[in-house]
Amino acid sequence: MDLSWRRVGWALLPIVVTAAVLVILPPVWFGDSPYTTSLAVQAMVFASYGVGFNLIFGSTNQLFLCVGALAGVGGYGAAILVNETSLPMAAGLVVGTVSAALVGGLLSWIAVRRSLGIIFTGIVTLVFSLAFANLLLGQRDLTGAENGLVVEGVPDRLADDHVGGYYLFVGLLIAFLVVFRALQLSHVGWAFRALRDDEVAAELAGVDVARYRIYAATIGSAMIGLTGALLAFSTGFISPATYSFDRVDVRVLVFVAFGGLGMLLGPVIGASVFAILDEQLTTSFETREVLYGVFIIAIFLGFRRGVVYAVVKLVRRFVPARRVSDATG
Amino acid sequence: MTAVILDGIVLGLAFGLLGVGMTLVYGLGGVLNLAYGQIVVLAAIVAMIVIDDGRATLVAAILGVLAAAAIAVVLDLTLMRPVYRERGEERTLLGLLLTLGAAFVIGGVLSWRYPDGALYIYIAGDPLSILGVPMTRGSIWASVIALAVGALLLLFFGATTFGRGVRSVIQDEVGARLVGINPSFVRTVIFALSGALAGIVAMTNAMVGPLTVNAGFELTTFALIVTVVGGLGSVAGAFLAGVLLGVVNSLSAHYIGQYITTIILLGAAALTILIRPRGLLGR
Repeated sequence: MDLSWRRVGWALLPIVVTAAVLVILPPVWFGDSPYTTSLAVQAMVFASYGVGFNLIFGSTNQLFLCVGALAGVGGYGAAILVNETSLPMAAGLVVGTVSAALVGGLLSWIAVRRSLGIIFTGIVTLVFSLAFANLLLGQRDLTGAENGLVVEGVPDRLADDHVGGYYLFVGLLIAFLVVFRALQLSHVGWAFRALRDDEVAAELAGVDVARYRIYAATIGSAMIGLTGALLAFSTGFISPATYSFDRVDVRVLVFVAFGGLGMLLGPVIGASVFAILDEQLTTSFETREVLYGVFIIAIFLGFRRGVVYAVVKLVRRFVPARRVSDATG
Repeated sequence: MTAVILDGIVLGLAFGLLGVGMTLVYGLGGVLNLAYGQIVVLAAIVAMIVIDDGRATLVAAILGVLAAAAIAVVLDLTLMRPVYRERGEERTLLGLLLTLGAAFVIGGVLSWRYPDGALYIYIAGDPLSILGVPMTRGSIWASVIALAVGALLLLFFGATTFGRGVRSVIQDEVGARLVGINPSFVRTVIFALSGALAGIVAMTNAMVGPLTVNAGFELTTFALIVTVVGGLGSVAGAFLAGVLLGVVNSLSAHYIGQYITTIILLGAAALTILIRPRGLLGR
């Protein structure tokens, strides 16, 4: 028992360190600049999306090209509910999260039932993204189309350019990381690893691949939806661009792949590195697009398992790992 | 009613021509080229530059098509090499991600250098009356070119030795290698052909209406839908699906409304994947 508690402690250590670093950042670095704070909030939002995407794609190989759309289901669901009725913000958050989870679970259920491969799952979810974007533009009365939607009922200190807003999203991210780690440590994580390594072998060993895929998609989509809903309240204004494919999905893919698919801190590292890059490069949207393209190509050509993995491997080469000597000794 | 259906057929032939370049590359090696729409835009921008330079439209169109074919060959010789070293789903996934990156690079450079870039090829002459419906010369030309290209492609794959070689690689890569066909050479040629087709799409689309620099993503989406519905790897399927979707598009745009139309088209693609993943004419 003692040993297993120590294991849990070690497993949570990276999250504790991350939390500590993220919490002390505002006073030592950007606390007084609204611009930098809003960039940091962006990074936390994308890291949170990334944890959800990492759970779906990184853990169970389902290429969900609809992160933006799922976040939009959460965001618009919450915003429309709160705007149209007099229900409180919390109700909006719950409804947004549950709707995103249901949509994600349904997409995964369809993909699993029709045994679509990675590619067809990607195409179906991409098609869903585009249809959702069109729906937003079409339902003008509810969504305000391209003019966007003002979301009511946000306390000012939690707005996305205040330190309060930053801590809100740090809290969300840390909670997601804990959930992700807990899943990894439980039998669910064991099943994820098995089905990712070899689907057929996992099925033969008695892992219900279909069920675990749907679990991962539902939980991951709930995370993405909750982030999207919270973002809607925090910025006080959403438009189709907030959740569009090229603004959300592409960046999430780059961040998660940069950090390393399936790795706990992958999304956090990816989102942070690119936030710093964004802060340094005050270039136009187009040149940033070119840069992202170059990064996608470089990452997938050079560091297929993420930059973090590559660095760890490089360090291991020079510093012999302790585990090796333990095993031989 | 006739006018709406004719409109749909014109649009559908354009869709078919758009889908055929993507479907060929997919059939040949399992790569869905997500940079396809951006290659179309590249051809249009090259043609625009040449026209602005004072050259004849025909010269500009040919140079545009050649530029598209050239960039496709460059993609094949650089990014696609590591992709083809993989097998099965790994290959498809890596191809998808790398071409997505290429799409951002090409699209980003073009919209950064030519933010207001657009190509419109005006074809002079009064509208012709077909079945009592006046059609602009531009859309007639575009449809004729699409039909001619479709016929040539079918002829090429059905009646020439090289075309048969291509089909053998589509059917069985290892088997084709055993009978002395070099799959990687065949792939380079087909990539070039696909690029040239993208260039032709740019010209025919510009005959019907202006093709702007930001159209890349939308073009890729439509090509993807046509490819999926028609059956991955099937030339005739792409044209059949294109015309079908074109007619559905103009019927529903006319009777229901434009925004529902896009959702109907997307729904058609999703349904095809779910009900008949091989597509209409796929193997």
